[in-house]
Amino acid sequence: MVVRIRLARFGNKHQPFYNIVVAQARTARNSKPLEVIGTYNPVPQRPTNLSEEEARSARPYKDVALDRSRAKYWLGVGAQPSDSVWRLLSLAGLSESKEKAPK
Amino acid sequence: MPPRLQGQLATNPLLPYISSSSTTTSSSLSNLPTQYSSQLISCSSRRTNRSFSSAPSSQTKHRNEMFAWLNTGGSRLKDHKPGRTNYLWPKTEAGLESMNRDLKSSHPFPLNKDYISQPILSEELRNEIHTRVVFKKQSIRSVSVDLGVDMRRVGAVVRLVTMEKRMKQQGKSLALPYARAVHEMVPTTPLYYDVSEHRQHPHESINDLPVHRLTDPQIFYPVSESRQFNRVDAGRVFSAAPALERREAAENATNPAEVISRITQNPSRIERVGKGENEQEVLQPADARIPHPHLIQYERLAQSRSTEPKKNREAYKQAIMQEETAEKERKRLAKERQEQQLTKVQPDSSRFEFRFKDVVVSKETTGPDGRGHKAPGRRYGVPSYERKKGQVKIPTQVQV
Repeated sequence: MVVRIRLARFGNKHQPFYNIVVAQARTARNSKPLEVIGTYNPVPQRPTNLSEEEARSARPYKDVALDRSRAKYWLGVGAQPSDSVWRLLSLAGLSESKEKAPK
Repeated sequence: MPPRLQGQLATNPLLPYISSSSTTTSSSLSNLPTQYSSQLISCSSRRTNRSFSSAPSSQTKHRNEMFAWLNTGGSRLKDHKPGRTNYLWPKTEAGLESMNRDLKSSHPFPLNKDYISQPILSEELRNEIHTRVVFKKQSIRSVSVDLGVDMRRVGAVVRLVTMEKRMKQQGKSLALPYARAVHEMVPTTPLYYDVSEHRQHPHESINDLPVHRLTDPQIFYPVSESRQFNRVDAGRVFSAAPALERREAAENATNPAEVISRITQNPSRIERVGKGENEQEVLQPADARIPHPHLIQYERLAQSRSTEPKKNREAYKQAIMQEETAEKERKRLAKERQEQQLTKVQPDSSRFEFRFKDVVVSKETTGPDGRGHKAPGRRYGVPSYERKKGQVKIPTQVQV
């Protein structure tokens, strides 16, 4: 069976919040995973405490917490990231982006 | 069923009651359906009898007294003098004399001595605070001590005045009449011409000791008479830490100022006691926990070397400078550490920035049952108390 790195949805209605988890591919979305390696908050946050010039160019940000070494380990032993996690991992520089990856 | 009046219906059934309580005339009666009017007649007849009655009503006396007062003593409160509060004063001149100036301006109700209306900052004082912090680059701590205003209030004033100036620049309208009215309704703290006056008449007490949770229980702690037991020891007893060694305690006693500055400049090095979840910092003496610990040393010096006030002031300034540089350094290091842990990525394809924070998933962080709070992620199998009764989600205070 395939081990996947994927998102598990937490949070309330209209307030999504995800755990980045390593789990068997065929288990339920929010079942207990093998390991939680991070979190992802898809709700954009406004940066605060900025000077006026900084505030003009600042972008809203999305928070990701990730244990890089565990992510690398699981990728190394063949865990397959889901599309959304793949995108996050490629942003973190842990994998190539999906378009560039060999088919 | 009583006959209805033809073609005339009251639109509002509440109307008869309203009109009966005020003045009822016979002309308004004809407009009403008879089911109401029969009640109304009895009611209004009682009313008319009452108004002709010679029995004095209890309210009349008080009303008479009220009008008498409004025409004599109360008449001076009718139009208020601009720039001053318009509070009641005691009836007699003797009572007026007994109230001093401060009391008169802060007690709106002369019979209720416990009701004090707290002063607010005057326009000049708050502008002075803003000028000192923003243009003269003085520290919030020193401005707070000089003008007798709490540090949190100084911070708030700076932010609000900055905002006001920006609004003026943008040409937005300000609620000036409202502000003027409020300033006339409550006492204000003026900006004294001689700034040292602010020390004698501060706006508020600036050095309040916050009550710490650990000091709630009353502890009976027997101490031998031969031992010096001071605030440091008391703090250790409250947090259940072992007593200091004699040598260390003796060293501390020789130089109290240094002990305090050591605590305030390196808060991360405060000793911790307890295991696991119960680990906490040892409660520090009150001298170190108050907002302005340096004022204690200043007073100490003023008493011991009262002949050299200039030197004392220099020493005080020096201490504050040291404290500020230490604080700046601490903030810089904290920011650096935070940025080291944070990777910011701004992809071209997205409107957003992604901030990657490094976390650690290991046996130490997840704990033996996998539910440790240092590990990332929401917990599994732990109830969320989000919707539970009594969960306060509105912030009750602002940390500055």
